Amino acid sequence: MNAILPGVTAVLAAGFGLGFGLARPAAAAPQTASPRAGHGQAKKRAAAAARVLPPVPAKLPGWMDNKNKNHIFYKRGRYNYDIYNIKPLAYDLNAVAVGHAMAYEDLVTGKAATLDTKTYARIDRVLKNPPRLMPDEAAISPTFGRRFGVLEQVFDWTHVLHAQTVDVLASNRLSAEEKDAEIERLWRYYFDSVPYAITPLPMNMAFLDGQPYSGAFRAKYPKVNGLFWGYHWLQGVMYDALYNKTLGQQKAVYAVLGKRYHETELRRTDRPFMPMFAEVSPTFSARFPHIANAFDNLHMLHDMVNDILASEWMTERQKDEQVKRAIWLVSAEAHRGEKPGASKGAGGAHDHRFMAGMPGMGMMKGSTPELMYMEGMGWMSMADCHHCSMPLPDGKDAWKASTVTADGWTMRVRCALCARDMSSETQGDAILTVATEDPRRPLVLLSDEQGNLKTDMTGAVFLEAEASHAGCSEWSQAFTSRAAFDAFVKANPEYKSARALTLAQWSERHGKKPDTYFKPKGPVENPYADGKREAKSE
Amino acid sequence: MRTTRTFTLLAAAAVLGVLLASPATAVDHNNIDAGRPLSFDDAEAIAFRERALEFGVSLSAPRGGAAGLGLKAEYLVGFALNSHLSVDVDASLGGRAGSDATGADLDEVGVGVFHNFNREYGGTPAFAVRGDVLFPVGGAGGTEYRLRGIASKAARQYDRWHLNLDAVFAPGAGDEEREFRPGAVLGYSTPLGYPTRFDRTGLAEVALQTSEEKGEGPVVSLGLGLRQQVTVRSVLDVGLRSDLAGGERDDIRLIAGYATAF
Repeated sequence: MNAILPGVTAVLAAGFGLGFGLARPAAAAPQTASPRAGHGQAKKRAAAAARVLPPVPAKLPGWMDNKNKNHIFYKRGRYNYDIYNIKPLAYDLNAVAVGHAMAYEDLVTGKAATLDTKTYARIDRVLKNPPRLMPDEAAISPTFGRRFGVLEQVFDWTHVLHAQTVDVLASNRLSAEEKDAEIERLWRYYFDSVPYAITPLPMNMAFLDGQPYSGAFRAKYPKVNGLFWGYHWLQGVMYDALYNKTLGQQKAVYAVLGKRYHETELRRTDRPFMPMFAEVSPTFSARFPHIANAFDNLHMLHDMVNDILASEWMTERQKDEQVKRAIWLVSAEAHRGEKPGASKGAGGAHDHRFMAGMPGMGMMKGSTPELMYMEGMGWMSMADCHHCSMPLPDGKDAWKASTVTADGWTMRVRCALCARDMSSETQGDAILTVATEDPRRPLVLLSDEQGNLKTDMTGAVFLEAEASHAGCSEWSQAFTSRAAFDAFVKANPEYKSARALTLAQWSERHGKKPDTYFKPKGPVENPYADGKREAKSE
Repeated sequence: MRTTRTFTLLAAAAVLGVLLASPATAVDHNNIDAGRPLSFDDAEAIAFRERALEFGVSLSAPRGGAAGLGLKAEYLVGFALNSHLSVDVDASLGGRAGSDATGADLDEVGVGVFHNFNREYGGTPAFAVRGDVLFPVGGAGGTEYRLRGIASKAARQYDRWHLNLDAVFAPGAGDEEREFRPGAVLGYSTPLGYPTRFDRTGLAEVALQTSEEKGEGPVVSLGLGLRQQVTVRSVLDVGLRSDLAGGERDDIRLIAGYATAF
């Protein structure tokens, strides 16, 4: 069927040609507008030759050159648009869509020179006054869409997955088990419906960010790049913010995170790399690593496209080719038959190793399989507690890990004490999600700047019989109720003399420095030091 | 009597549909379907697997006749990539252009298929075609067949032109009626409120339609319209059309509608 379409299109084009002044070559307009364009192109060719661009693979599948709209409706479900249960988050996400589209449109319509000034100001106004309804990105970036239609398909379809998974999490009509099952169905719907799904495999981020054009956008447009990475922060952090929480908890948690997003994360220009999904939502990433990987790969595709468009030394044709190559690199089809954890050449496009303990995160710059570097935190193992260095529960017990969200990151810890004490060592507001005896009912604690803790689970009590951290996940626990505490003590008589601590009593405590803690040392001091700019934020 | 009841049922169904669909309603204000509110289509089909309900009410003042009310309901389903099917029902109450009737009548039921050949890329417009079969159910006239070619293309950065070329075949036309009626509509759409709001599209059109009656000159009309996103899945539209020339014409026609996807 599709084979005849180009012919039909040609006939129609001839029929309608008069009315529309057709037959202008697609890429001709912006390139030939300047009388000096010829000279500029020659200079770009010379510059490009100096930096050898990787070739676009031969014999790419037909979908990579499709000229169809291919709009697909989202999966039906009673949860759709339930993100509006948490309106501040819904509105912030609406503004993210505008921000991406405005920047892309300006980049391809000759307004790149004012991207960090006029465009930034225009986007900022929207971020501060977000639309109440999700805008159609294609309508805001029509020129970009006409030039990069397939890229737009990839973005749009993956954004649908983003939106629907968040709708599921924000729904108060589904149980926690139903949410997990529906998220898996959404993934299948996403992956099976189109040929241009993004790969769920962990990708080597150092490779993707090690292209001849990499880093161009962040160096040239630090403020807009900061916004983009701020969006990626939000799009990542919201998953753990919503996962396994009641609607009331979700609203309370987003009150903290939304403030952080607007005041800090959107304005940061000192990040060495985009926020990774598992750095801000490790619980969801461990539970749904394929989805976390796909979102990181989507965000990396955004960065690669940004860098390509910001690389003035490339000709327009080379930019088009490199965008196509970038799509191919992160596409599921390019990695068909490959497995997470496997590698066909470490450090390359088919390196699908992941960080130890975190299947939802590919290898980072300078990392070893065991250790990765995180700005502000240094070297760390994602398989171990960030407070006591003991191994984190994994597999079917992964839910027993607690998390601390503070200062823009989310870290997994092994016990309630580790969560509390790690939180107390951070500045500003913090969110503690502490595992209880019920896998679906973690205790959510909000910590203000003074370290005061509050929760909506008023009956929660704590066990804390401090000993070596080798056993901290036993002697330090939170329970949803006194009855649950008593049941645990009955089953574990060694704790028969332990008191059930109220939140007020427990929060007054502070444990000793964990006897098991050690500071991991990476292969270098800071793998991002070579490309690091002066730290600053607005 | 029977048609009055049908008309009432259609009106009730439309209102009920609006009420039921409102809480869960993703048609988009940027995507333009004929009748919502003007007469032109853009070249984009609804999404594959999407279903949509569209309702419209029009108040018209035919030249030399009594004012009348028109009602339209349409169901669309995206049955394949870039293609959708539609079923629509039209009814009238009171005066109408090209007829002396003033009662309540179910005018026609239409079944159509729409296919988009390509998205707009580079300097090439998006092209689409739709074919409709219109079955008369009010007793008058015969089955009509309409073929419409559609092209949509950027005008400047955000606004677009939409050219619709129509060929209507009426093999059962009476002696005084035309069996073939060509027509053309040039539509225009532009976002309103950008870059601070992103939920509203303004529309305009100029249309040229051949009159059904032999001997009558073509109907030339102008229209202005607005599409406003009202919920995440629904759009309200309002329009104003006026036939400037032609025999079977409305001096003025006010249109309001609602579309919802599910």
